[in-house]
Amino acid sequence: MRDLLPNAWHVARREYASRVRTRSFKVVTAVLALVGVALALLPLGGRLVQGNEEHRLAVYLEGSSLAPSLAGSLQATLNAATPSDQAGWVVSTVPDPGPAQAEVRSGKSDGLLTIQRGAGGDLAYQLYTDEGPTGSTPQAVQQAAYQLSVGDRLQNAGVGGQASQILARPSIEFVRSNPGARDSDENFGTRYVFAMALVILTFMAIITYGAWVASSVAEEKSSRVMELLITAATPRQLLAGKVLGTGAAGLTQYLVVVVASVAGFLLQRVLAERLVGAASANQLEGVNLTVLAPFGVLFVAGFMLYATLYAALGSIASRQEEVQQVTGPMIFIGMIGYFASFIGLTTPDATWIKVLSLIPFFSAYLLPARMLLSTVAPWEWAVAAVLMVIFLAGALWVAARIYSAGVLLYGQRPSLRAMFRAVRVDR
Amino acid sequence: MSLVIEHVSKRFGPVVALDDLTFTVEPGRIFGLLGANGAGKTTCMRIVLDILRADSGSVTWQGTPNTELPRDTWGYLPEERGLYMRMTVIDVLRFFAALYGVPADKATREVDEWLERFRVPDYRDRKVEELSKGNQQKIQFIAAILHDPDVLIMDEPFTGLDPVNVQLLKEAFLEMRNRGKTLIFSTHQMEQVEELCEAIAIVDRGRIVVHGGVREVKRAMGRRVVRLATDADGTAATAAWLAKLDGVQVNEVRADFVELQVPDGTDPERILRAALERGERVTRFEIADPSLEEVFIEHVGRPAAEEEERHLAAGRDADAA
Repeated sequence: MRDLLPNAWHVARREYASRVRTRSFKVVTAVLALVGVALALLPLGGRLVQGNEEHRLAVYLEGSSLAPSLAGSLQATLNAATPSDQAGWVVSTVPDPGPAQAEVRSGKSDGLLTIQRGAGGDLAYQLYTDEGPTGSTPQAVQQAAYQLSVGDRLQNAGVGGQASQILARPSIEFVRSNPGARDSDENFGTRYVFAMALVILTFMAIITYGAWVASSVAEEKSSRVMELLITAATPRQLLAGKVLGTGAAGLTQYLVVVVASVAGFLLQRVLAERLVGAASANQLEGVNLTVLAPFGVLFVAGFMLYATLYAALGSIASRQEEVQQVTGPMIFIGMIGYFASFIGLTTPDATWIKVLSLIPFFSAYLLPARMLLSTVAPWEWAVAAVLMVIFLAGALWVAARIYSAGVLLYGQRPSLRAMFRAVRVDR
Repeated sequence: MSLVIEHVSKRFGPVVALDDLTFTVEPGRIFGLLGANGAGKTTCMRIVLDILRADSGSVTWQGTPNTELPRDTWGYLPEERGLYMRMTVIDVLRFFAALYGVPADKATREVDEWLERFRVPDYRDRKVEELSKGNQQKIQFIAAILHDPDVLIMDEPFTGLDPVNVQLLKEAFLEMRNRGKTLIFSTHQMEQVEELCEAIAIVDRGRIVVHGGVREVKRAMGRRVVRLATDADGTAATAAWLAKLDGVQVNEVRADFVELQVPDGTDPERILRAALERGERVTRFEIADPSLEEVFIEHVGRPAAEEEERHLAAGRDADAA
């Protein structure tokens, strides 16, 4: 390890600087960051386009015997029954049903509820709406009207003082038969979407940045600067520096995009409060953000594994055009885990997906995904870590050999046989 | 203590690149490695530099095997030039110096000094891609010597240079030799070898056909060269009577002189006397060793440059295919 420094550091620094300075790097990073911000702002945009999502209900009190406070208690009852992440109700009393009916017809209001005291002294309701009896407005109003009537009847029966107590919701304690287990339904959708996003982003990042390494090695070969490099530094130093430098550049781009997206997401919440009013709930509810810590470690390790092999393959290509051809196997391996995650993550506890998620080529994205969707036992983390270290060491060893032979190989058609020959030779 | 290459062999699959190569380079000398393209010069250099391993044989410098020598023992100018095109000259040179452990400030001082010597001080902060091929080659040379290597190995260093830059590079060679460095360069152009080298080795098809001091190699040919010009009209007439002399063979009839080949044991002054006896005024009389070109042809059977052209043509065909 000590023999890698300081040359690996010099190589990495040069690689990073020349990569980050290119116009294409700056443009792509800026575009990706903008896309990230746009995606983060999308929910807010959706709500702005849809308009005010609050349900509006007009109440017309027919006859003077009705207390004006009915509208207030109706609003409270309606909102009490509405889940916190959904838009609430705004109930207003109108003096005249005519304009209110027009508002319902034009879609500005969800309904007009006319309340009057019936012949038997009971409250009678009429709901004017464009929705059918099973629509969300009639359903909600029916539920609320029922509670309103019960309260009214209790008052009439002389238990008015205790009415609120009688109607209060009882407290229920829920005891899980399997404490610690995740509810497979609750928030699974959100977590699944988040997990898939993680898989896709990680896969793309590793493949993209890995390909950078390969093309950078091939470029050094085709520009013939390689022969000078290989006399000045050892293949292992060059390999390590290349992977670190490109990795750091990739990570820079990745972080810029992530930070921009998170900033966009936070901005979205602030804007939502200002523009729409009601504070929206945490959209990542059910997503355990501690997943990001092991994810970071796995991401870096996974990248290094791929990038090391990418560098070796890149060294076999004589020209840029051959890079695609020789790095095909890496994309193929990555694809296995990628498609497996699409099929397998709906059942994150299936044995095959568990086994697959421990293999170093896939663990970088399958393990955090599984952690989001289910649980990953400590021993599984340990196995994945040990395997990763072994694979990384092996990859470095193989890659250094392929690399030191490959960089002097010109004009020969890159083939698997040439690669194996390269591994066999002494240096 | 010198650079000793002993019984080095290397195969690439069925192709024998080097076959039992043995030669010695004395320290502090300029050494020429001559051969046509594909003779094995580049492979030999790569093995000395330990970026390629020989199948058998050994390379030692001052008694230490090359596998145990620090990398900064060597400075290398590869045949195929290559630098980072989008970096500035100073950045590229500092980078390579850093790989050899040269501090940035020392590297900068050295770079400025060498750019001055090569008369291109204002290229310091230009991008490499903006420079002409010849100037890139100067930068490449500086990259090879910034770490003050003991042995400088250069593969076809004069190829592609115009006469002015050839002259500058020759001066740089002599400067390095004056600093006590050992220089080895390969070429198929004999003029530079004649001018610079004290010792040579000729490689043909992976084998050393002759090696040693330039003078010894020439003397070993067993003949000398005489160049003669007189005030008679035209050199053709002179050549005609010269050809009739015993043991004399006309090598070349030029407009300015006639070149003759005289075997050892024949007194060259006999030719001078013959000219004077004919009443001609001798304007040029020169006794010399055979040229390296002749040495090369004698040992390899064909001129080095001709072979080169054949290879270039083959390369073009391969590129087109």
